[in-house]
Amino acid sequence: MPPKGKGAAKAKIPDSKPSEPQTVLQRAQQVYEATNPLEAAREQHGLNGLSTVERTAYINSEFVSTGTTDQLGKKAQKELWKQVNEASIPPRKLPKPKPEAWGKDKYGRNIAEYGLEQFHDRSDKILQLATLKLDSKEFRDTRYRASRKLKNGLTGESYVLTDEDIEAEKERRKEMAALMDDLYGEKMGSYSVDPAWDDVVPIPQTEPEGALAAIAYPEDYAESTSYLRAVMAAKEYSPRCLKLTEHIISMNPAHYTVWLYRFAIIQHLDIPLLDELTWLNEVSLDFQKNYQIWHHRQLLTDHYYPTIAGTPDQVKRFASSERDFMMEMLIEDAKNYHVWTYRQYAVRKLGMWDEDELRSISGMINQDVRNNSAWSHRFFIVFSNPAYATEGSHATEHDPAIPAEIVDREVEYAKEKIKLAPQNQSPWNYLKGVLVKGGRKLGSVREYTEQYVDDLGQDTEQVRSSHALDQLVDIYVEAGEKEKADLCLRRLGEKWDRIRLGYWEWKRTTL
Amino acid sequence: MFDEEVVPSTATSRTAYSLPIDPLYTAEPPITDDLISVTSTAQGNTVDQCLPLLKAQDNSIEYNIHGVPRLRRRKIINYLKLTLGQLPAPFVAADASRPWSLYWALNGMSLLGEDVSQYREGLCATAQHLQNDTGGFGGGFGQQSHLATTYAMILALAIVGGEEAYAIIDRRAMWKWLCALKHPGGGFQMSVGGEVDVRGAYCAAVIISLLNLPLDLSSDSPARAAGVTDLFAGLDSYVRRCQTYEGGISGKPDAEAHGAYAFCALGCLSILDAPHRIIPRILDVPRLISWLSARQYAPEGGFSGRTNKLVDGCYSHWVGACWPLIQASLGESASRQPEESPTLETHSFYDREGLIRYILSCGQDHSSRGGMRDKPGKRSDAYHTCYVLSGLSSAQHIVTTDTLRVEQVANVTWTVLPHPGDQIYDQEDLLNPTDPVYAIPQGAREDMMNFFLSKPGF
Ligand SMILES: [Zn+2]
Repeated sequence: MPPKGKGAAKAKIPDSKPSEPQTVLQRAQQVYEATNPLEAAREQHGLNGLSTVERTAYINSEFVSTGTTDQLGKKAQKELWKQVNEASIPPRKLPKPKPEAWGKDKYGRNIAEYGLEQFHDRSDKILQLATLKLDSKEFRDTRYRASRKLKNGLTGESYVLTDEDIEAEKERRKEMAALMDDLYGEKMGSYSVDPAWDDVVPIPQTEPEGALAAIAYPEDYAESTSYLRAVMAAKEYSPRCLKLTEHIISMNPAHYTVWLYRFAIIQHLDIPLLDELTWLNEVSLDFQKNYQIWHHRQLLTDHYYPTIAGTPDQVKRFASSERDFMMEMLIEDAKNYHVWTYRQYAVRKLGMWDEDELRSISGMINQDVRNNSAWSHRFFIVFSNPAYATEGSHATEHDPAIPAEIVDREVEYAKEKIKLAPQNQSPWNYLKGVLVKGGRKLGSVREYTEQYVDDLGQDTEQVRSSHALDQLVDIYVEAGEKEKADLCLRRLGEKWDRIRLGYWEWKRTTL
Repeated sequence: MFDEEVVPSTATSRTAYSLPIDPLYTAEPPITDDLISVTSTAQGNTVDQCLPLLKAQDNSIEYNIHGVPRLRRRKIINYLKLTLGQLPAPFVAADASRPWSLYWALNGMSLLGEDVSQYREGLCATAQHLQNDTGGFGGGFGQQSHLATTYAMILALAIVGGEEAYAIIDRRAMWKWLCALKHPGGGFQMSVGGEVDVRGAYCAAVIISLLNLPLDLSSDSPARAAGVTDLFAGLDSYVRRCQTYEGGISGKPDAEAHGAYAFCALGCLSILDAPHRIIPRILDVPRLISWLSARQYAPEGGFSGRTNKLVDGCYSHWVGACWPLIQASLGESASRQPEESPTLETHSFYDREGLIRYILSCGQDHSSRGGMRDKPGKRSDAYHTCYVLSGLSSAQHIVTTDTLRVEQVANVTWTVLPHPGDQIYDQEDLLNPTDPVYAIPQGAREDMMNFFLSKPGF
């Protein structure tokens, strides 16, 4: 514990000769008493403790000090002034000090209660801050003059601002920030401290009366978004703004406006793509679930692509590095929707319809044969390949342009994967998709599908995949074997996939 | 209104006679492969977490006779009220989605029957603060307008209702802004310079129809340069391009089918024209129904968002709310004779009991926190509270479309009534109905539409 300050002990108001004051308030009280002898006496002894003369003089002096003497009749005024003169009351008296007159410090303590030493210390700091502010203003003035190429009227010299001046100002701001915090508990944010941001008048967040769901922003966030609003309003696209967006994104990556603004800055400054991607990759790994990051990446690729479009090698290299990064992201979450959506975009944009992409996807399906995102991507790269697919062919309709060997290959692929885990719906959906796309009869996989179902409707019934049973419904409908289809649907609803009973029953009505 | 904190809970509810629960909801599914992968492990863990709740084995929870936990109305309302107050610093992550917080909380409270008119003034002040002169609402103060946050803000204003709230919306600027977002490919950008996806298609259709905005594109719209002249032109074919080989709908063409986008697609189409006309014309409906139906899992009973992903309470809305639109698209009630008194068609495409069990057992945050959640082990949040409740309401109600009107005008009259007969939830746990397309109370949607219908032009 630090030793207690002098002001901590409560001093008694002395009876006779005043002793050394302990606090600011006590000292002011003493000065007041010196200029108000009668009041001091009354405070000590009470009005009735005064002599008749003293009492008259006290009352008169109080009356005089109210400034309302002209309300008296002429005669009464004359008498009053006579008495006042005889009592020789000091013509000027200080008002009684009020404890709140000095204000409060940042902890809410009345400064009037400060010990004298502590008070002097505080006064010194206030003086110090005022001096720093003056120096800082001098710096700003010089900078202004230098920017306008003004000359000193007396000496004719040009104003210059050296690096040392800027460094000194930075130090000065730090000292000012420390003093502001110490004296008033006011935090100077990193932008108001930085001379590079002096010309920007921040637009602070205001909240209307009664606003709902208002957020108590951390100071850092509140300050930086205040500067963001200001530079956006001024349509400034500069390196310092780029840094500002980085700062805000680190605090709130869902701030879509800052991302769009960042892209505008990149366009204006023509920031090299690789610089931006290096930064973006780190941010992406930090904020896995974020949406805006991937739209930003798409904007960057759109912006950058025309510069490499003429050089296939460069496109291939870029595609490959994009794939590497996406694979890194997919290690964390193999079904990250934003990453996959960007991947589909990148395939189209960068023409990634090659073996590498197919191999990469096969690898992912090998890792988790139930990863439906990978299956879905496979369908896209196989059946939307502009090398053979009909542009605009709907996903659920036949495209005659798909080569037969590709349909064969994909049918075999799906069958092989179903074998690993027959109750996995992904390859079943894929198989159906391929058959429809390829214009194949569902009956072409009848035997294959039937091997997952034994003795349907009998006591020895065995079903190894409800999806096989589902597919058999369509196969039997296609073959006109309605009763068999109906039996499949009934068994699905009764036993093998009961939660979907409502659907199976509806489907029965459509047979 | 039932309030568990005021009404003493009767000890009998736990010890009294309770009906057996169908093993469909309490036992492993009949077929499970032995191959282990990341997906199967996650799925197994989820089932393990859901089962004790589904079996009504947690003694700290109050169950009804069907072994279904009671809906903790008061707790949920109080939780939502908190999210409308001053939010602490970690909510900085929500700084770009404030209108969403408003919609989630107000819609959740409306479903629970709480009077939200007390929030009108505060909401109006907040909305004015977030509206941009260039049209639309930003996610926060000084932020660019965004279709999703504008959608959420307009719905929030509709929920509190009143001309004072409607009058805040600058319709002319809104129209200009939407014209700037219209993409030559038919869809909408989410913001100027932002992404184009199915959310944009739905949000724009909701905004345009609620505010009765003119469809003509402004002369300076970038889409006009590409030959598009109408805000709705090409929107249906954009949605069509998002259907995948699985039958579901993806966020963008070429991507994976996803439950949230399925609702956006169907909602958008149901605004463009009567569902029984437009949905079969634009989408492969049998494939879509098959995929939607596969979203429900047993024993959990909840919906997943994609093939081989886990159940999540919010899909109770995104997937659950697709069903009334699908039913309307099949014209299931369209064959009804006009003079016939409305008979309620109780056939359901999905297992209502399973979904309701999942919502009340697994989708409630049973801790003192209250609110609704994704799944056991997760904390509640406003987003899940809104959409899980919305899904519950949808499961508790039956939707019919008016035949005569269907034939005459694009705007369908939807009738939403509670499911008749015995239910596994108590009468006190019945939520208010919700509009099948706009996901707000029907009256709120009608009042706002009527207000702006009287204002053609600007
Ligand atoms: Zn969710």
